[in-house]
Amino acid sequence: MAGCNVQSPELNNVIDIQGLKKSYFLGNLEVPILHGIDLCIKKGEFVAIMGPSGSGKSTLMNMIGCLDRPTGGKVMLMGRDTNAITDNELAELRGFEIGFVFQNFSLIPRLSAYENVLLPTYSNTKDGMDTSGRARDLLKLVGLDDRTGHKPAELSGGQRQRVAIARSLINDPSLILADEPTGNLDSKTSVEIMDIFSDLHKKGRTIVMITHDPEMEQYVDRVVHIRDGNIGNN
Amino acid sequence: MIDLRYAFILAFGSIRSAKLRSTLTALGIIIGVAAVVANVSIGASFNQYFTDELGSLGSNFIIIYSQDVNIFYDTELELIRNTPGIEGASAFNQQTAPVTYLSATRQIDVQGVSEDAQYISNLGVAEGSFLTDKDKYVAVLGKEIATEKFDKNISVKNYIDITIKRDDGTSVTRKFRVKGILASEDNTFVTGGPDRDVTIYVPIATLNEMLNVTDYGGFSAKTGSAESVQEVSDEVDKRLARALGVPTRDLDNDDAKPYRIFNQAEIIEQLDTVTNAFTILITMIALVALIVGSIGIMNIMLVTVTERTSEIGLLKSMGYTKPDIIVLFIMESIIVGVIGGILGTVLGLVGSYIVETYLGVTPVFPFYLIFLGFFISVFVGLIAGVYPANKAANLNPVEALRHE
Ligand SMILES: Nc1ncnc2c1ncn2[C@@H]1O[C@H](COP(=O)(O)OP(=O)(O)OP(=O)(O)O)[C@@H](O)[C@H]1O
Ligand SMILES: [Mg+2]
Repeated sequence: MAGCNVQSPELNNVIDIQGLKKSYFLGNLEVPILHGIDLCIKKGEFVAIMGPSGSGKSTLMNMIGCLDRPTGGKVMLMGRDTNAITDNELAELRGFEIGFVFQNFSLIPRLSAYENVLLPTYSNTKDGMDTSGRARDLLKLVGLDDRTGHKPAELSGGQRQRVAIARSLINDPSLILADEPTGNLDSKTSVEIMDIFSDLHKKGRTIVMITHDPEMEQYVDRVVHIRDGNIGNN
Repeated sequence: MIDLRYAFILAFGSIRSAKLRSTLTALGIIIGVAAVVANVSIGASFNQYFTDELGSLGSNFIIIYSQDVNIFYDTELELIRNTPGIEGASAFNQQTAPVTYLSATRQIDVQGVSEDAQYISNLGVAEGSFLTDKDKYVAVLGKEIATEKFDKNISVKNYIDITIKRDDGTSVTRKFRVKGILASEDNTFVTGGPDRDVTIYVPIATLNEMLNVTDYGGFSAKTGSAESVQEVSDEVDKRLARALGVPTRDLDNDDAKPYRIFNQAEIIEQLDTVTNAFTILITMIALVALIVGSIGIMNIMLVTVTERTSEIGLLKSMGYTKPDIIVLFIMESIIVGVIGGILGTVLGLVGSYIVETYLGVTPVFPFYLIFLGFFISVFVGLIAGVYPANKAANLNPVEALRHE
């Protein structure tokens, strides 16, 4: 059982999952969701995770994103064993190395687009980073330089998702995790969002994206299929 | 770790997004802090007022009331005069009597005193001079008597008629020459002594002769210094008790003595006891208001945590630690508390100012009131925020994100 075949000392393996198991407990009853998953994702890869509803895609992503701890096996991120570090260190790892993008955009309604992008830096800031300048640059990157002061309620669904993408990049993370980022968008807007992801991919970002839409396969390097908590064949 | 500045901005923004709710939440704190502040200010104002009142008598004042007739005579007056530390002593008797000036008659307190009374009670004379022990039918008038009580103003060298009623039912009227008129002074009711503005002072010997008695209602005396007043008054007490045949074992038993002796220090002490009891009572009420207020904040914070469950999951996904979340929510609850505290302090100051002005005492606002209001509200906000903040921090991020 192994995730990545080569244990690269240069941290080329952004994600290295070995025998990952996750169960939920309903009272005393163990409900296994992930049954021993091995997965290796290298730096700069754009990977889509596909599978039927309820197959455990979001559960897997939460494990990769250190939002939850495994029942068995281990998740190595940038060469670090996440089982071996404390909750606060996990939070810091999330803050610096992972950028999340969710299906429902998840912006704070009271804050402007600009403030939403800055929000992660209030808790974790990389030394010497010009956060406000970077927030403006990122909003420009996603095509929202004329909407920085708008509240989420004043933005369209596609624009909100762009803000969320800009936010996920604010601390220059090693990995972007997107859970059905186009799930709530029409096809035209979905294409615009995918173009942004493609762009980021070309610039060398590592992206893992959950999707239901077979159309998305054209954008990615590789598709990982999940069925009943197991990795299927490509 | 979250920067406190940003925590403040985030928390304040969230409070601003629900102004009405935040104001209603703060109401409990507003009332509690206002009660504490007003209470302290009113207490301080009254204390200041009483102290000022007593101060006009001099701070080294002793007063002795007889509890019965035929207790105090000249012997006792001499005994007090000769006690070391006593600088002046006066006997007094008093009757509310009809006083006639130019065919108008008024009921006025007539006070018989010795010449020492001027020094003992700090009686300032505006016109003429004070009476002496050699004077016979002379009177010294309070300011109000001379200028307001009668249709025409009375001045020095005018004559008034005073009618004194005796125990046997007969009465006697004598003509008195006005020798002096007192300067106006604030009330001295606190000591139970006469209000000098509406009193007529006559020689004690003259009054006693008209009353056909030889005993006195009491004595007033003054010691050389404020520091010695308790010691000297104890000595006077001891000598009086012995002279009046009170057994030695009863020297500490006030009920065994046919008189009451008070000094300035004791009067202030008694006033303090009364104001303190009052203060404790209102403080308890204020405390209850503050507890209710803090429960109100806690309640709203719990609602807020539930409402923002998915936001909390989001914050955790972007790297906020448990302490970060705790800081955010406690900050929010402290801000609500402080807003309540500021409004409550203002309300308390305004309220006590109105009450004090209405009661005619000079408003006193101890400087620490501001800090008191502030610290109470920070403390209440902090306490109210701990539980909800902990609840928020311990939410499972996956479950929280799933929450809609
Ligand atoms: N907290 C939980 N307690 C119990 N069961 C859970 C819990 N969270 C998820 N599950 C179960 O785990 C399984 C996988 O859920 P998951 O959200 O990973 O699916 P998914 O592949 O993301 O589905 P979808 O495509 O619909 O988002 C589901 O059957 C779900 O009911
Ligand atoms: Mg899912």
